[in-house]
Amino acid sequence: MALIGLTTGAVYALVALGYTLVYGILQLINFAHGDVFALSGLFATTMIGGAVFGLTDTSTTLGVVGGLTATFVIAAVFGAAVNSSIEFVAYRRLRSAPRLAVLITAVGMSFIVQNISLAIYDVNARSIPPLISGHTVFNISGVVYTWDAFFVVLVTAPVLVLLTWLVKSTRQGKAMRATSQDPEAAAIMGINVNRTISFTFALAGALAGIGATLYLVEFNIRYDTGFTLGLIAFTAAVLGGIGNLTGAVLGAILIGMIQAFNEGLSWNAPGTAWTKSIVFGILIAILVFRPEGLLGERTPEGA
Amino acid sequence: MSTTAGNGQVILKLDGVHTFYGTIEALKGITLEVHEGEVVTLIGANGAGKSTTLRSINGLNTPREGSIVFQGKNITRRPPHEIVQMGISQSPEGRRLFPHMTVLENLEMGAFQRKDRSGIREDLDRVYGLFPRLAERKGQRGGTLSGGEQQMCAIGRALMARPKLLMLDEPSMGLAPIFVEKIFEIIGEINSQGTTILLVEQNALMALDAAQRGYVLETGKVALTDDAKRLRENEQVRKTYLGEE
Ligand SMILES: Nc1ncnc2c1ncn2[C@@H]1O[C@H](COP(=O)(O)OP(=O)(O)OP(=O)(O)O)[C@@H](O)[C@H]1O
Ligand SMILES: [Mg+2]
Repeated sequence: MALIGLTTGAVYALVALGYTLVYGILQLINFAHGDVFALSGLFATTMIGGAVFGLTDTSTTLGVVGGLTATFVIAAVFGAAVNSSIEFVAYRRLRSAPRLAVLITAVGMSFIVQNISLAIYDVNARSIPPLISGHTVFNISGVVYTWDAFFVVLVTAPVLVLLTWLVKSTRQGKAMRATSQDPEAAAIMGINVNRTISFTFALAGALAGIGATLYLVEFNIRYDTGFTLGLIAFTAAVLGGIGNLTGAVLGAILIGMIQAFNEGLSWNAPGTAWTKSIVFGILIAILVFRPEGLLGERTPEGA
Repeated sequence: MSTTAGNGQVILKLDGVHTFYGTIEALKGITLEVHEGEVVTLIGANGAGKSTTLRSINGLNTPREGSIVFQGKNITRRPPHEIVQMGISQSPEGRRLFPHMTVLENLEMGAFQRKDRSGIREDLDRVYGLFPRLAERKGQRGGTLSGGEQQMCAIGRALMARPKLLMLDEPSMGLAPIFVEKIFEIIGEINSQGTTILLVEQNALMALDAAQRGYVLETGKVALTDDAKRLRENEQVRKTYLGEE
């Protein structure tokens, strides 16, 4: 059960990181992030199932591996492009605007992206063929863990390692950290702050694209999937301490676990119908009792 | 205009610079120049526009009117990161260290645009030589340093860019008198090693001692400019800024 939680948590983590990266650099909650996730996922379905790669469950292993890899890359680039465009078009001019104006714009961007998804991909849910076998990896006392679930973790882990390296050790990562701590000071160190912010949005979007493709391995996506999923991932980011990368992953895995135990243990858990209530109950509880989250630091602003 | 104690050519020239914060006109036509090799100081009361002058030069506040020329290039509307690359760095008002980075990381950020690893190493040693306290504290986070240590770190960080023009905004702020002396000593040392310095100070006495020329700002305008020595003797300056009768 913990492993199933890990799988769901992995997707949440990729999305939660997007919220936390952007918040870290601009103190902005990009409400459109969940919708970028959905749009990237929908786009990925057309790559995999549609005319481009035309993968089906009878494709050769090589075809599946190649097609999926390409889809990950394309969905990541697509998510990156959409997310950094949102920053460029909407948020950039609002850098020194009041918080409320930015918040309203972010909510507006969420609706806009959602409606773009709706216009292009209509109201129907899209899915991809079962490319990864649903066969059991192992089975412990009736709890089965399947290959497709394992695959999600297998892809997420190296992505997280790569991200950590990027932020901790590269020049671009240093620019991101400096900008998030003090953008003006960063600018007079010779950092191109606008480019650093664009890069951060692109990175967040790329993670959403990868997350969405992974999500498709097990679930289907509709134009409004990003709303709930985004809120859950946002909760994870807040739970871990918004702005804190490790926190976002930790929060996401915790929420994945809570969901898995809640939905999977048939004997005593409230069950699927209650999952969202529990998750948002957690969100409210953190905001009230520990707004800095598990790993966040207390700041004068409280978040 | 004024006599030139500095030997070199004009390295920086501001001509009729007007800078605004929203509708507030903070600079109302500042004209000044800095020659290569000089220490020039800007003094003036609180709110006179000293920091805003530096923020106009470094690109954080783009002037609405007027021009700023550095080494023959018009930098009036260039973004801050390009201006750093051209050779201007600074220790800003309020120090502005990166609070979650260590002293060493902060110093390294100062060299962000440089690629010459060995040169960066040299400059790091030089900064540690100037401020041995920073070497002792290199693993400590910027946000947890004492005010004086932060000031040293901010100056050191500005030096790490190996600038042609170093701008210091109130480097003596918050320092104990003994450290103030030390800072001015170091300013002299940095200057004698060939760096041109534009120094903003509340401590007009020390600043005029360290500088060759000075500008007195008053509500966004240059009220007076002269040789540092002569400003020091000036009746008006003595009354208003040196607290002498
Ligand atoms: N961010 C800002 N928004 C609005 N007005 C500002 C801002 N920063 C400075 N000002 C105004 O611009 C004028 C010049 O300020 P500046 O900081 O340049 O003064 P200063 O000479 O450096 O003063 P001090 O010695 O107190 O540091 C002041 O009247 C100040 O109130
Ligand atoms: Mg000032």
